[in-house]
Amino acid sequence: MVSINTELIIHLMNRAGFGITPDELDSYSEISYEKLVESLLDPTESSHIPDDILFRDHVDLHASRSGVPAYWAYRMISTKSPLEEKMSLFWHGIFATGNSKLNNLRTILNQIEMFRRSGTGKFDDLLLDLSQDPAMLIWLDNQDNVNESINENYGREILELFSMGVGNYSEDDIKECARAFTGWSVGNSEYMSLMAQKDSIWPYGRIVWHYDFKSEIHDGDNKEFLGQEGPFNGNDVVRIICNQEATARFIARHLYNFFVADEVPVPQWKDTPPRDPAAINTLVEAYFEYDHDIKSVLRVLLTSDFFKESQYQKIKSPVELVIGTLRLSGEYNDDSKVDSSIFGVIAESDYMGQALCNPPSVEGWHTGEEWISSGALVDRVNFASQHIGNPDNDGVKHIVDRIRTDLKDDAHTVGELIESCGNSVGITRISEDTAEGVLDLFSQEEVQAKGQDAKIQIEDETILRVLEFMVSSREYQLC
Amino acid sequence: MKTVKTMGINSNQPVGRGFNFPYDIAIRDDLGKSRTIYLLNRPNSATRMGTRIQYFTFEEDWIGEFGNPLEDDEAKFTKPVTLAFDSNGQLHVTDEATDEIKIFDSEGKFQRSIKLDSDSQEDGERFGPAGIAIDSDDFIYVSSRYLNLIQKLTPEGRIVLQWGCNGNGPGEFNMPWGMDIDSQRCLYVADWRNDRVQKFDADGSFLRSFGESGKKSGQFHRPSSVAVDSNLNVAVADWGNERVQIFNNEGLVLNVLEGDATLSQWSHEWLDVNLDEREARNRANLKTLDLPRHLSNAYHEASQTEHKFWGPVSVKFDSDDQLYVTEHSRHRIQVFEPVELT
Repeated sequence: MVSINTELIIHLMNRAGFGITPDELDSYSEISYEKLVESLLDPTESSHIPDDILFRDHVDLHASRSGVPAYWAYRMISTKSPLEEKMSLFWHGIFATGNSKLNNLRTILNQIEMFRRSGTGKFDDLLLDLSQDPAMLIWLDNQDNVNESINENYGREILELFSMGVGNYSEDDIKECARAFTGWSVGNSEYMSLMAQKDSIWPYGRIVWHYDFKSEIHDGDNKEFLGQEGPFNGNDVVRIICNQEATARFIARHLYNFFVADEVPVPQWKDTPPRDPAAINTLVEAYFEYDHDIKSVLRVLLTSDFFKESQYQKIKSPVELVIGTLRLSGEYNDDSKVDSSIFGVIAESDYMGQALCNPPSVEGWHTGEEWISSGALVDRVNFASQHIGNPDNDGVKHIVDRIRTDLKDDAHTVGELIESCGNSVGITRISEDTAEGVLDLFSQEEVQAKGQDAKIQIEDETILRVLEFMVSSREYQLC
Repeated sequence: MKTVKTMGINSNQPVGRGFNFPYDIAIRDDLGKSRTIYLLNRPNSATRMGTRIQYFTFEEDWIGEFGNPLEDDEAKFTKPVTLAFDSNGQLHVTDEATDEIKIFDSEGKFQRSIKLDSDSQEDGERFGPAGIAIDSDDFIYVSSRYLNLIQKLTPEGRIVLQWGCNGNGPGEFNMPWGMDIDSQRCLYVADWRNDRVQKFDADGSFLRSFGESGKKSGQFHRPSSVAVDSNLNVAVADWGNERVQIFNNEGLVLNVLEGDATLSQWSHEWLDVNLDEREARNRANLKTLDLPRHLSNAYHEASQTEHKFWGPVSVKFDSDDQLYVTEHSRHRIQVFEPVELT
């Protein structure tokens, strides 16, 4: 049995990162849980495969004309500060912006970089950055939001999907909100939106968009918004929104869904109470106590009992499954492993239902059980078993070596092998069904007779087969 | 330095006229007719579709293309890097994925290849030929990206000289890339990850280096290409800083170019049949920017305007000392007047 601290560290890294390798687990063994949380929240090292190396090998990534999911995958796989990438993924799922409409991946990548920069700061700043983000402005047509004729798209979604949730504002509030954001646009909006609409790369490739405030089309008149009155602009509206309890509850429930346990999809939140109302209350209190600071709310969440007791209550998203598996297998994680095959590998996440930079709608992805369809499940199992079952992958080779070294004499049982292989891929609670499945891999009479107590010779091929089985298990789909 | 013209247009097609992530050019001046430019495209890392060499005249008359992965096995490229002509008009192309130099005639017909290796290479270690330069006696100089060395080869591919190892001292390299040879047979190497240019004599003896890491004048961020004109002025593609710097023979900075592109002939032709974009473009201001602080750097300024260099990966001089700057992320070539005319 693994120690409680080890189990908690694995749990923390599954949720606040993309899993944990056995070597990482060793390096954290002397660190207290609380200290590890702090190191994730305030990383001293944010290294990853450097951009210059990536751009030299994949020159098309330089302009981000295509391949941004692969670029992001390199970052997620090689980063030493995984929570930063996890939070970017979190906001990408809420402030969902897709290239299917924008045809400008570099602008979307700038948005993701904004999430990295502002994603754990004060929520007001993040929402303001979002409201001036060119990808979001074009995504929700705010370039067409002018004083003479408002376009409500952004005004509606900032309230419904980005902050407060349905039922906490009126239709008039939407109109007044939209008025406040008139003139919040992008430079050369006519030409840029035309190029996006026509998917034009001519004459000299895509031009990345920048924010531009057009005072001549801004409505500076008085507005009534959420019970307050004044000549509000977008900054005022963001400030008012961020002071609402509904906003705190909405963000708290999103954080709970992403880090703690799967909730029902957002459209059902209005009619379905939270899974753990007390936990949501705790996060709401933290939001106000720490002046809307997301990092402080995260600290409360990650050190709470409800988080520590939430193991195996989430289904890994496709990106979590793919990146976590690749981190374990040791692929694409340093300068010498820059390889064109990553473009195909990250596309596997698309087939499982999560195409980075292309969420299905402004609602983002529905999570939890909705990740699992019969086709997606086959893809998930095949992906993990192919990468962890490949002894040519450095990470796999290393795991096999470690297990063989740990179990070097022949006095070990099948049960010990199962536990060692499970722990190596981040599974600390192995079900009876999974253990029984492993036993079926062995044809020896002793194993069939004594089950997990049978003693066997531990050979590399045996370890590999058990590892492959472990990542095909139900437990590996969860975290 | 004033611009002479801008050449090219973007194309996402795997065949035909138009550039897609151009990586290097070579210029043929000795045809007795119009100057011909050979341009290497290296698009689409995922499929390599569209990787090929196109050639066209200085007046932008498109002539043809070769080396497409869709074509026969011998001629096709995998990860081609740089180009150079020998005195016989044979085009040499390095391919860092296959560790070879492929040689074509001026009409793109494959002639032969030179396989590259080194006695300092360990099992499984790749050579990774990056830059190439050919002297007036047709000796070939090639830089090894992975082994951090320079080799001098006979035209047949026999090694006559080799120097360098990984490091940042004189004669050491960190992922060297583009090279050029001046009229005094000295070799210049863009020592990419050491952020400097090193100069050697024809025997590989170190003469001097210039540049250091940074954004200021005379400093570099990942210089990818170097070219020397007939007056020994040196142009360096300061790739990571999105600019080109011109040095005199003493290493003093003469000029820093950030790009000033105009519409090419092919671009005019395209806009003439896409009037909605031409009209919207005419109403736009693609030069002025007021970027927030976090976007105020060379990369973002280049990406959000159109006239500035974006990915200036290669510099070359023609026989009249006109400077050609190839930008992979703007899919074009900007041509500048000779240094002395400025």
